[in-house]
Amino acid sequence: MLSRDEWLDLARKLDWDFSYVTERDVFPEVTSGSPWLRQEEWKDWDEPFRTTYAEYVANQSAKEASVRAVREAVGQAADFQKLHPHWLSALKLHAATLPLAEFAAVVGNLRAARFGRDSAWRTMSTFGALDEIRHAQIPLVLLHDMVRHDPQFDWTHKFYHSNNWVAIAARHLFDELLLASDPIEFAIATHFVFETGFTNLQFVGLSSVAHAVGDRMFETMLKSIQTDEARHSQIGDAVLAKIVAHDPARAQYLVDKWFWRTWHLFAVVTGFSMDYLTPLASRRTSFKEFMQEWVLDQFVRTMEEHGLSRPWYWDTFVESLDAYHHMVYASAYSYRATVWFDFALPGPEERVWLAEKYPSTWPMFEPVWRRLADRWRESGPGVEWHSHGATPVGFCDLCQLVLSGGTPEQNTAVTVTRGDKKLVFCSEPCRWIYEQEPSRYEAHDDVVKRILAGEAPANLLELLRKYFGLTSATWGKDVERGGYRWLGEE
Amino acid sequence: MLVPLYTFVKGDTLGIVVLVQDGDTIAALAETIADAASMRVAPGSEMTVLAGGKRLDPRATVSSAGLTMLDRVDLVMSSERAAPASQVGMSR
Ligand SMILES: [Fe+2]
Ligand SMILES: [Fe+2]
Ligand SMILES: [Zn+2]
Repeated sequence: MLSRDEWLDLARKLDWDFSYVTERDVFPEVTSGSPWLRQEEWKDWDEPFRTTYAEYVANQSAKEASVRAVREAVGQAADFQKLHPHWLSALKLHAATLPLAEFAAVVGNLRAARFGRDSAWRTMSTFGALDEIRHAQIPLVLLHDMVRHDPQFDWTHKFYHSNNWVAIAARHLFDELLLASDPIEFAIATHFVFETGFTNLQFVGLSSVAHAVGDRMFETMLKSIQTDEARHSQIGDAVLAKIVAHDPARAQYLVDKWFWRTWHLFAVVTGFSMDYLTPLASRRTSFKEFMQEWVLDQFVRTMEEHGLSRPWYWDTFVESLDAYHHMVYASAYSYRATVWFDFALPGPEERVWLAEKYPSTWPMFEPVWRRLADRWRESGPGVEWHSHGATPVGFCDLCQLVLSGGTPEQNTAVTVTRGDKKLVFCSEPCRWIYEQEPSRYEAHDDVVKRILAGEAPANLLELLRKYFGLTSATWGKDVERGGYRWLGEE
Repeated sequence: MLVPLYTFVKGDTLGIVVLVQDGDTIAALAETIADAASMRVAPGSEMTVLAGGKRLDPRATVSSAGLTMLDRVDLVMSSERAAPASQVGMSR
């Protein structure tokens, strides 16, 4: 029998010269990506895992078995009831935004499995596609299952099939990232920026928080998914190195663009979960501290190793670490009925913790929370609308999220006139991304434009029910319905 | 004619879209914005509306102030609320 090393490269790295078609016909630039390089240039492409299909199947099968075992051990109704109600909101946020995005990642990987420019890359992308199928299926089954205990978990499946404003923003990001990008952009954006730079936040950071709150099932699931990400994300480094060598400006552009887009997503998903939805006793580090350790230090070092600069908006980014997720959380709290999960009102002890972790910006947020608490005192528990906005909010024409750039002192939104269209951006980087490739974005209308065009209702209740897909049973509320003991004491 | 505006209150966490009539005064616009953000920002006694960095005359109308659809407008409120008597001596 041949030893592994004797046959491995014949199976995973086999490219050949075409005789009756040209290389450009087999790998057209529009589907293979830019810069277009001849195979000759790619032939030393490699990644460190060098997995065989048999090894892949054996490893994955073992991973499935351990997830199943944990589910059997701790997936009962009694286990669900032990989870802290605030933490359930973090699960609902994850359940809706990530599993079906992983399904879209199957498509991105499959495109690279066909149109990636080297066979070892295509082999790894095939495994990547198989990985992403389980990343969609496992959380769909584990988290949607909870709908038996709580109707908001219906949004695990429903979210991406709705016109909820968060779903519009998430689709705007993921459609471009995972469905519309060519294999080169996909490799740099998804494998390098998203998976190497950011998924650690949710899949390592939040998994350690899950451990602290006693949610073994979620912890196991995240860790199991992360082992796959660690493998297929290696595609990113290898493709980026090649693009830096041939077209450094394009490499820098793609990193700059996707770093900002990805940052916004994780600021909401992981930022809310770590700094607001995790019960105080289980918090370890702040979201910012996690960002500093996992994204700033490690990612900046990797960028430098590739000979790339920090994104041009680096100072804006560093400032936004202290503010952006706080801006969006307070905004979303006061528009909580527009989403599918509940919000916790930070009490005095949580605000002390937040003030310690964010000394430069928290004094700007403290009055907002004091005001919201006063509104609850005026209305008493159970009256959601007194501490809830009724006026439509604005949305960024790039990220499609609320206009929450900058700080409460200085909101960074900018309006821009393009032809007969008036656009608004939450921040300069969002505006810059749009203006690099306007044809990619200009046909997409934000929610406000849809309301003005009569496509979506202007009345908030109508908008929630008819356009955002919510009902009084599923729309977001204060997780304690305003019944905090400290409201009477502070 | 109805004019939708992107409005930002100093101290607030997001931009909201306020609908006003082009004949409404800037003072009335200020009241509308302050009311729309009141669950997050306490109303102040003095209100200043700014557009493009310039202070707008409260007696002007939305159209005479040159505001058009989807412009950005900022509201700054002074929080000079009467301090409780016991604190007056300490703070001034
Ligand atoms: Fe994944
Ligand atoms: Fe992945
Ligand atoms: Zn934006």
